[in-house]
Amino acid sequence: MSQKNKSIQEKMTELTDIVSWFNGDSFVLESATDKFKEAEKKAQEIEDDLSKLKNEINVVKQRFDGAN
Amino acid sequence: MEKSLNPIFSVSDFIAIFNQTLEYAYPMVEIEGEVASFKVNQSKFVFFDIKDASGSINCFMTVWQMRVPIEDGMKVVVSATPKLTQWGKFSLTVKNIRPSGEGSLKKSYELLKAKLEKEGLFAPERKRHLPQFPGRVAVISSTQAAGYADFIKILNDRWGGVRVDVAHVQVQGAGSADQIIRAVDYFNQQEVLPEVLVIIRGGGSADDLSTFNDEPLVRAIAGSRIPTLLGVGHEIDESLSDLAADVSAATPSNAAQILVPDKKEITKLVNGQISSLLPRILQMIEQQRQSVCECLSGAFFTIERALSEAEWKLESLKNTFRQLDPEVILTRGYAIVRGATEVGRVIEVETKKLIIKAEVKNVTKK
Repeated sequence: MSQKNKSIQEKMTELTDIVSWFNGDSFVLESATDKFKEAEKKAQEIEDDLSKLKNEINVVKQRFDGAN
Repeated sequence: MEKSLNPIFSVSDFIAIFNQTLEYAYPMVEIEGEVASFKVNQSKFVFFDIKDASGSINCFMTVWQMRVPIEDGMKVVVSATPKLTQWGKFSLTVKNIRPSGEGSLKKSYELLKAKLEKEGLFAPERKRHLPQFPGRVAVISSTQAAGYADFIKILNDRWGGVRVDVAHVQVQGAGSADQIIRAVDYFNQQEVLPEVLVIIRGGGSADDLSTFNDEPLVRAIAGSRIPTLLGVGHEIDESLSDLAADVSAATPSNAAQILVPDKKEITKLVNGQISSLLPRILQMIEQQRQSVCECLSGAFFTIERALSEAEWKLESLKNTFRQLDPEVILTRGYAIVRGATEVGRVIEVETKKLIIKAEVKNVTKK
């Protein structure tokens, strides 16, 4: 897994964790604003990453026609 | 006796020379005909005749060269070298045999499907899940094929950051199945395995797509250590490779859709998650407000009840005191007597309405 994509996946997991916190028993109103700002920042990072990432396509040199 | 100008061969030499001539003239021939008298000897050697309305030729091959099931009555194309055997029998040594025509392709497909199904190659419990966010993917396709171009376009439109290693192979015609098998082996032998192996080919005729009904190829796909995704043909086409793959896509474009998520959808999902938080916060504020209100109501109720109890007790005491008031007792008809109770002394008697002076005439103990 590439570093960039792993990072997106990690960020998405972190975002999901924050969202789960809001819906879980640990939720306390006093921390909600900070958590919300953290989630917003994470979402923005994910969106930025998604718009920048490009695929890397390599045609392998190996021949498969039995000639080598 | 006149000596002949023609060379005299031994039988063996003639057969050898004849075969050399045949090999020179027809190094490889392709013949289409119907299979008859098909039989397998010692589970190794395959004998059959290939015939049409007015001719028939003996054929020989090994079972290992058979890529698809064959039976009598099927129309086939054989790739073979003609040969005269040491017993003087003309025969075709078949290198490759493939069904020809819709009926035979279908028949061969059904026979192989039944065989592999019985072995459990298509069993649902064998299917593996593909990763949600693959980082490294292997693709087997012809890089010149339209299907491949569609796949790459959709892949790039939907997602980024994936390393895609592409094995360029022939995807139809003789030798294509072997090329794909070599590519499957190549990726499966890598030290660090790709996360998904995608096999791509656009639409085509039943004959074009018959490569994907090749038994060794179907087995190679089923045996791949890397989870497989097959995007071959159009939606209506279903090859045996489709059945053996972990995931089968309807088209190459659909394979790209299955392989990676759509970044637009992910962005929408992420923003949706954020949007869902505000109502949650408001809901919690409302819940806490209600909770505070309930606490306050409880406190008020407790205070009110304590006050009521105190008021009731006070009222009760007041009543008791009221009953003890001498004026109240006089109202009930009693009288207060003041002074010494001795004979001849004057005492004062107070009733509700009167104060009376009286002389004591007699005093007796009760």
